Amino acid sequence: MDVSQYLEIFLDETNEHLTNLNTRIMELESDPENMDTINEIFRAAHSLKGMAGTMGFKRMQNLTHDMENVFSEVRNGVIKVTSEIIDVLFQCLDALEEYKDNIQGSADEGTNDNEPIIRMLNNILNEGKGGEAPAKKSPAKEAVPAQEGASGNKWDSVVLDDSQVNVIREAQKQGKRVYGLNVAVQESCILKAARAFLVFKAVEERGEIIVSDPSAQDVEDEKFDRDFTLIILSDAELDEIITSCEAVSEIDKVVGAEIDLANNKSAKVIADEEAEAAAEAAAAEEDASKEAEKTEPAAAPAAASTAASAAPAAPAAKAEPKKQAPAKPVVNRTVRVDIEKLDSLMNLVSELIIAKNSLVSVSSQEQTDVNSAFNEQIEYLESVTTNLHESVMKVRMVPIESVVTKFPRMIRDLSKKLDKKMELYMTGEETELDRTVVDQIGDPLMHLLRNSADHGLESAEVRAQRGKPAVGSIFLDAYQEGNTVVIEVRDDGNGIDVEAVKQKAIDRGIITVEQAANMPDKEIIDLLFLPSFSTAKKVTDVSGRGVGLDVVKSMIESLSGEVEVKSKLGEGSTWTIRLPLTLAIIQALMVVVGEEKYAISLGSIQTLEDVPASEVKLVQNKEVIHLRGTVIPLIRLNEVLDVERKPVNEENLIVVIVKKGDKQAGLVIDELIGQQEIVIKSLGKYIKQCKFISGATILGDGEIALILDANTLI
Amino acid sequence: MELSINNNQIALDDEKGRNEGESIQYIVVRLGEEQYGIDIRNIDNIVKMQRITRVPKLPAYLKGVINMRGEVIPVLSIRLKMGLEADEITKATRILIVKLEEEGNVGFIVDEVKEVVTLYEADIERISSDITAEKGNLINAVGKHNGELISLFDLAAISLEEN
Repeated sequence: MDVSQYLEIFLDETNEHLTNLNTRIMELESDPENMDTINEIFRAAHSLKGMAGTMGFKRMQNLTHDMENVFSEVRNGVIKVTSEIIDVLFQCLDALEEYKDNIQGSADEGTNDNEPIIRMLNNILNEGKGGEAPAKKSPAKEAVPAQEGASGNKWDSVVLDDSQVNVIREAQKQGKRVYGLNVAVQESCILKAARAFLVFKAVEERGEIIVSDPSAQDVEDEKFDRDFTLIILSDAELDEIITSCEAVSEIDKVVGAEIDLANNKSAKVIADEEAEAAAEAAAAEEDASKEAEKTEPAAAPAAASTAASAAPAAPAAKAEPKKQAPAKPVVNRTVRVDIEKLDSLMNLVSELIIAKNSLVSVSSQEQTDVNSAFNEQIEYLESVTTNLHESVMKVRMVPIESVVTKFPRMIRDLSKKLDKKMELYMTGEETELDRTVVDQIGDPLMHLLRNSADHGLESAEVRAQRGKPAVGSIFLDAYQEGNTVVIEVRDDGNGIDVEAVKQKAIDRGIITVEQAANMPDKEIIDLLFLPSFSTAKKVTDVSGRGVGLDVVKSMIESLSGEVEVKSKLGEGSTWTIRLPLTLAIIQALMVVVGEEKYAISLGSIQTLEDVPASEVKLVQNKEVIHLRGTVIPLIRLNEVLDVERKPVNEENLIVVIVKKGDKQAGLVIDELIGQQEIVIKSLGKYIKQCKFISGATILGDGEIALILDANTLI
Repeated sequence: MELSINNNQIALDDEKGRNEGESIQYIVVRLGEEQYGIDIRNIDNIVKMQRITRVPKLPAYLKGVINMRGEVIPVLSIRLKMGLEADEITKATRILIVKLEEEGNVGFIVDEVKEVVTLYEADIERISSDITAEKGNLINAVGKHNGELISLFDLAAISLEEN
């Protein structure tokens, strides 16, 4: 059978295992004696090996096999984990990653055997065992369960009909062997049916499946609890079959033995009363399950886990006449959906919201005679569309965890490469963002972290001089703030040397000496985001190639986010990335400036104020207002937007106070329309020079209103 | 819509020039007194003049955006782009929705949409690249049709230009 349909699952799980291995090996490095971690690593390596083997990726299988060997010895206490071993293990992971990428690209693992790594692994093994050649892992111990008491075997309680009994008898007469096999999948297994399929496949390569309990169809539909029982005809050895089944990943236990029909209750019944076979089958079923219940607790200890899983199944079988009534799987049921389908769903929701908005505007136009039922229905529609929008958005949200888990490893590598001691502390990995944003945020974050590691943190000597701890700290914090998600990369390093940046900018001809003299530090630091601006004195392959911060900035801006940096020389810097929680639909305040309508995202608005014109003061020739103890600069939107101001109420100004981080500004508008849910539409690539317009939206009457990006105005 | 008016004309043209090489259909529009042609394959739609929402800080020839079936589309004045005097909006004024490869749909304001003509390779005369390289020049060929000259737009020039 073709395994290609499982390729996607294989890749997903390989990813998961590799991420897991990365994290665990990091843990192991700081705590080399932790048995839980070692076991976890062993399990992950083992599963990887099994999966690669089943999928026919031999090179990957070999490499993981050797890795597993090393861990097996670590687990047995023969080998002690050292920094060198960790290094080799990370190289293994990189190699595996490479295989995975190859498979993803071409469904082929490539031709790299990674012999040097395998050799290193074997060296570790040999050293650990004092020169002994690595012993082949014996499958013998896995065959132990086969010794259990015959009467406790599940296959003996399988209900056989007479034709099946005949087949078994015939086969036994011909000298073929008939085995009973009970396969239990791991409790945590998500794709039980796929695992079962692989087991079926493995068994079918070596024999013929006569009976499956639950039926093959039910197994395929995942209608089984944790284990299933097979009766097979085969010429092969039992051990071989069991081993091949165990090679399938996430299989907990496989037990098997040759079948003796005399032990099978239903077969006996058939033998005794063949004439009444049909009627008896039902009775036998009940008997069989009773027997299972009785005999299971007496089963050999080796079968304990099988028995444990069978115990809840047996009473269930008694309570309901139908035996195959498995408990619903407890794991979350998930469906993979193409992101394009979600996009189109999202577009439909957008359309719906626009349609709803036009209904709202129709109803408000004829306030007088519209009956209240109509309004009620509109309100209902409004709540439905809002909920629908939220659910669709949620479907697209994923935690940033998938991106950030690779960073500790990266920092570790950088630490070695740069010969600086550093530690990464992360919080808020569970913070959720739109899938498309999460997919693209990895690279900018990586740039910032590398930047902190390379430029930020000082060398050990300098740190000692400054009285800082020898190990530099880098922090990655993610959290939600209102309608935005904030990701901060912080370090306790040198901070940005404003003078050095200034000098460099002058050298490069970006600014003149006079300009530099008048520029506030903040603006000088912002020069770092210009293309081809790198202050690293040494060009390393970590950073300093002149690409970086400008790329970070443009990538984040393409996600409608923004990045800023705060820094104190000698104490460290903080890079703050702000990303919108949603990309397509926002709550906005609709305002009028001159004759034009604009939308301002509610997320950036702090308050609305009515300010008497007399309270506007001039500071450095700029208009400001004094509001509850803070001085807030005023921005006259009509001037910024080149709109002729309507000569309305000159006594009072309507001011929208917006904030960005800890900065505030007051936007002077002419009129307020109100709050509205708007669908963000792009202005298209043709219009790109207008910085402070982030998009447009279509109003209920078909008119277009532009969306003001308050962040760029502050 | 105007696209269907000149079906007869097209049929005639087809018969006339079967052996004159590749044929391309052009939509002929009027800007002032001159006739211009745009390859019909690049036209998405032709709509009547409608309210254009101004976008601040744009060069004068970019008039703003319109709502086309829920899609926000930038509209530009071909007249201003070519350095002619500003558009005079009349009943005949139309917005041609043109598909640009890179930038997506863009609307062109034209004084009038006249007809669809079929031009054969032999009828089209390329303009040398010295002239086309000049800034503000959007024409890269001239077509001859029924004794009249039609300047043909070079859409690549419109889309590539830094605006």
